[in-house]
Amino acid sequence: MTTHVEAELLAAYASGDVDGAHAYSVEAHVVGCADCQAAVGRLLAPARLERGWADIEYRLDAPRAGPVESVLARIGVPAHLARLLAATPSLSMSWLGAVALTLAIAVLAAHQGERGLLLFLCVAALLPLAGVAAAFGRGLDPTFEVAVAAPFSSVRLLLLRTAAVLPTTIALAAVAALTLPGVGWTAAAWLMPSLGLTVMSLALATYLAPVRAFGAVTAAWLAIVVLSALDSGDRLAAFDGAAQIAFAVLAAGAAIVLALRQDQLDLGRTL
Amino acid sequence: MTYAVHAAGLHKRLGSTQALAGVSLELGDGITGLLGPNGAGKTTLMRVLATVLAPDRGTVRLLGRDPADRDDRPLIRGRLGYMPQEPGFHQRFTAFDFVDYVAILKEMTVRRERHDEVRRVLDLVGLAGVGQRRIKALSGGMRRRVALAQALLGDPRLVILDEPTAGLDPEQRLRFRELISRLAEDRCVLISTHQTEDVSALCRHLVVLNGGETVFAGAPRELAEVARDRVWLSDERSDAAELSWLTGDGRHRHVGHNPPPSAELVAPTLEDGYLLLLGGEPLSVAA
Repeated sequence: MTTHVEAELLAAYASGDVDGAHAYSVEAHVVGCADCQAAVGRLLAPARLERGWADIEYRLDAPRAGPVESVLARIGVPAHLARLLAATPSLSMSWLGAVALTLAIAVLAAHQGERGLLLFLCVAALLPLAGVAAAFGRGLDPTFEVAVAAPFSSVRLLLLRTAAVLPTTIALAAVAALTLPGVGWTAAAWLMPSLGLTVMSLALATYLAPVRAFGAVTAAWLAIVVLSALDSGDRLAAFDGAAQIAFAVLAAGAAIVLALRQDQLDLGRTL
Repeated sequence: MTYAVHAAGLHKRLGSTQALAGVSLELGDGITGLLGPNGAGKTTLMRVLATVLAPDRGTVRLLGRDPADRDDRPLIRGRLGYMPQEPGFHQRFTAFDFVDYVAILKEMTVRRERHDEVRRVLDLVGLAGVGQRRIKALSGGMRRRVALAQALLGDPRLVILDEPTAGLDPEQRLRFRELISRLAEDRCVLISTHQTEDVSALCRHLVVLNGGETVFAGAPRELAEVARDRVWLSDERSDAAELSWLTGDGRHRHVGHNPPPSAELVAPTLEDGYLLLLGGEPLSVAA
């Protein structure tokens, strides 16, 4: 003879009004008893059943967060923005790995003398810039066209991605700088040029395609680095105190240009 | 009458090419087909209307608003669905991931509602069961349906589809026609396509571009009428007509102004009209 769950308890279970221990004991019986399964089916309100299925579907469909998205969510970035940022080409593991490798080579060079130190400073200044250049644009982000046609502003997306790429790459460069042989504050002399070059490139990207803008700024700056070294006889002249102040001023000016001309990016005129 | 799309005198230069040279058009509800040979400017026009590209000259109003206006633009984009000619995907995304990603770009920030909407559009294009498959593992036809699904997010009022039927097999094309014709009952849909049968089957209105200019705008049957009394069938090959080819039933079809000797005059098709309109250029109806 089989003992079934009492009708009253079964009704409470079907309406979700039993505690965990009772629910467990009802379920332990119901999974092996066809009569009680049928009774639960009759008692369940269709709306509740539908909600249950919807919950299951929702959990099964929910996109799985990758490592970058998980880190961003953990530091408080809203989940939907973390999704947009995690798709940034220059936040991929392969990109960050390449940045780390490039920095490691530059550090090795810096240990060989002042010429190597100059190479490190140039590399450390340009890597964040390269990361921002690869963050969003035609030919860089496969979903570019769809993204531009969406109401989420392209400028906002570009700046959000810049805000994610810059600290990531700068942190890697800063770690590398800590391993330089006793060069004092010069180990951080790449930081202000890096920020200045990035903002200037973004401002120029309202006139030219971003890749061209970043290329033009990089070429112009490297020319200045070489010419100032030849002119003054000091290999690190482009990183001295006056240069740092100049970059801060130029960055502020470029930020104003970017704010005034952001529509050019949002209309896809140059992207 | 307020048109969903009102464009006047559009000019756009891309590098050394004048992609659009004064295109004007007005589109209301229903499906409009866009045809033209390679390089005619179709994709450029669609990108301008999708607010992805700004014209050098001319005016555009979409859904009664100006896309050049900073306040109007997000309102237009919120009611616009766009499927590019070559939709790109993040390869590690699943179909659900990708459509969910676009839904975020469409400002659907409430996770539960967004996921319900993603499921709805995947179901609409017949991909309900493959949402969790990676896009790189999907066939070309399935990828196009994923791209179509994202264009339908948020129930857009204006839908712009650049070659949506490319890569679809005949059964998928029929399903597509069914879906689009149902959608277009109360919205404006603009499609460019390689398939003149799609135009005949779906489109209420037709625009033909050539060399960046509008060379025809009207009903598909009016384009067929361009070739009225200009299409013949004969048993012999002839060089008299501008265009002739051997058909599947072993007879030669001739389109042009000079009838071959002893040829039989037949009713023109939309394709005949299109060929004659473009002066006998080879049929390749998508740029």
